[in-house]
Amino acid sequence: MRVKEQTQERPQTAGVPVALSAWLVPGLGHLMLGRTRRALTFFAIVIGMFSLGLYLHGELFPLDRSEPLTFLAGIAEIGVGLPFFAVKLLGMGAGEVTALTYEYGYTFCIVSGLLNMLIMLDAYDIAVGRKS
Amino acid sequence: MTSHFMMLTIFAALVSIAFALLMRQDPKEQLRFGILAFVCFLGSAFLIGWLMFPFPS
Repeated sequence: MRVKEQTQERPQTAGVPVALSAWLVPGLGHLMLGRTRRALTFFAIVIGMFSLGLYLHGELFPLDRSEPLTFLAGIAEIGVGLPFFAVKLLGMGAGEVTALTYEYGYTFCIVSGLLNMLIMLDAYDIAVGRKS
Repeated sequence: MTSHFMMLTIFAALVSIAFALLMRQDPKEQLRFGILAFVCFLGSAFLIGWLMFPFPS
């Protein structure tokens, strides 16, 4: 009964805008929840990794369903949020396959997206009260 | 920026910090977990590197 009451008190819908914000701008979800230090750290890590990946000639993969691994890599990179779309609009992120650091580059880009997905889920859990 | 070890170190450091902040609440526990994750990243890379050493490239 007590558990049911506590569950009802939790604002379940509050998690969605927080999660959406956390996805679009890395760290924004935690900032909305008043966790400034974490928000800034997450922003620096995700944007830093993504930028480093691009600097190392990493590729932003297209969502090509005929190539399952490419498709999954593209989904992972979209996890970065707005920076991904901004870079795409600027015509960057084509990648340079012949570059020595190409594999490093796309690995950094993919992992930055995956990290931001974890950060988004963390923000959601905090917003709905699953995590303190 | 083409050193494998430097790439590995930067990658391990950034991911370890993120994991520590996500998985631990107390700052001391975050520090401990972050250092452990960082050492595990580097250690496993060295171990796998040596295990692959006998195989031809």
